[in-house]
Amino acid sequence: MKSKRYDGAGRGDFLLWIVGAFLLYLLWESGFFTAAAWSDFNRRFYQNFIKDNRYMMLVDGLKSTIFMTSGATIIGVLVGLILSVIRVAYKGGIHIPILNKLAETYITVLRGTPAMVQLLIWNFTIFASARDLNTQYIAILAFGLNSGAYVAEIFRGGIESIDAGQMEAARSLGLTYGSSMRYVILPQALRNVVPMLFNEFIALLKETSIAGYIGIDDLTRAGQNIQALTLEHSQPLVMVAIIYLIMVMVLSKLVKKLEQWLSRGRRG
Amino acid sequence: MNDDMILTVKDLHKTFRLQDGRTLNVLNGITTGIRKGEKIAVIGPSGSGKSTFLRCLNQMEVPTSGTITFKGEDITAPECNINLVRRHMGMVFQHFYLFPHLTVRKNLTLAPVDQKLMTQEEADAKALELLARVGLADKIDEWPDRLSGGQKQRVAIARAMAMSPDVLLFDEPTSALDPEMIGEVLDVMKELADSGMTMYLVTHEMGFAHKIADRVLFIDKGIISEEGTPDEVFDHPKQPRTIEFLSKVLRR
Repeated sequence: MKSKRYDGAGRGDFLLWIVGAFLLYLLWESGFFTAAAWSDFNRRFYQNFIKDNRYMMLVDGLKSTIFMTSGATIIGVLVGLILSVIRVAYKGGIHIPILNKLAETYITVLRGTPAMVQLLIWNFTIFASARDLNTQYIAILAFGLNSGAYVAEIFRGGIESIDAGQMEAARSLGLTYGSSMRYVILPQALRNVVPMLFNEFIALLKETSIAGYIGIDDLTRAGQNIQALTLEHSQPLVMVAIIYLIMVMVLSKLVKKLEQWLSRGRRG
Repeated sequence: MNDDMILTVKDLHKTFRLQDGRTLNVLNGITTGIRKGEKIAVIGPSGSGKSTFLRCLNQMEVPTSGTITFKGEDITAPECNINLVRRHMGMVFQHFYLFPHLTVRKNLTLAPVDQKLMTQEEADAKALELLARVGLADKIDEWPDRLSGGQKQRVAIARAMAMSPDVLLFDEPTSALDPEMIGEVLDVMKELADSGMTMYLVTHEMGFAHKIADRVLFIDKGIISEEGTPDEVFDHPKQPRTIEFLSKVLRR
């Protein structure tokens, strides 16, 4: 499910050109470039976004999307941190088999089932009777716990990338395992995984687009709601796609900047 | 047992279990000890177990059998709190292992402050004093990555000293250094030795070992195969294995 981490243009601009040309062909086939279509464009744009302040539906949807993404990110990072420390500590000699087994199972189950199914189960099974609860909180929980399983693996990779000598040096000074983790290993690991955490955040942003399935008017659902009002098949959803794309591109630029900044702090 | 023995090792064995299920006997019964203020050089071919021996002393490696008694306490006993023991046993590593995300100051003060042995102010003062001692007082607010290898190792020695240990364990402290930086680190160690520090030194620097050691252990195949003063071991070795090893190392 989450191979959809955004990784820039990357693999071959050639493919991009082919896909682009194909899309243009489709648009041309559907009469997109006829004069009639273009004279109609402004009127439909007005219908979809200006009339009755319909753009506010998109704005509110965007707010909901950002709210859910932020909340889920916080839960995801916390859960991921705890899970990864449990798993690394198990390898590092702090043997609590039950905890480790639980963490392993958690990661297996949440990564092994679609986020969509998890969201539906949280809403219609686990919180079925809690009808007063704001559905957005259920979505935050579902997305956050799901993300936690992925973040756990990110953190684990980050922790394991730290030279074992760092732990030894800390322990040789009398620091406990916990203190060594907290003051020596985790700060270095965190620094290494910040870019990957941001990518997880970006993936989450797009993933929340399924929140409409449990009745949340997120950005995607807002587009559909406008569709329902105007019976318009393309403009609202294309607008939604553009908004997602802009956010993802801006965030990706930020990650790039962040990566550069992080690597500048270090000298080889 | 001699009263001024600060550390005694009895019949130490260490067996590593390899991933394919085979076992590797690295230490095959080592019995030795160190007096307060004594400097012991540990030499031997690579793979002989000398580093493992050193790492067993502060339980970086848990011995398979045998006992280690440190200041009267059996530190191999399960009820022993190894963290409290390690406070008194500094270790200096081949690859320094400074904490790269902390300044030199923090590298030195983290352990004593976290273990509530000193306040940050006391630790800062001690850090400055130790850095001055290793000739790096001006680097106190520098980041480890901006130091040369020799400077890093001198900071690492100061970091180990910040815990005021009773014994320092040096694990090939100059093996990862560029040749022109070895001297500055050896100078610092010489000064420590002269000040009466108790030291175990695993090294390939035979000249330096000869100069500062009170006793030399030659470890081969996991046992101490020859032991004596530097004069005895370096200049009049008795065991054929020692003679062969020294002839190879000293020929250079």
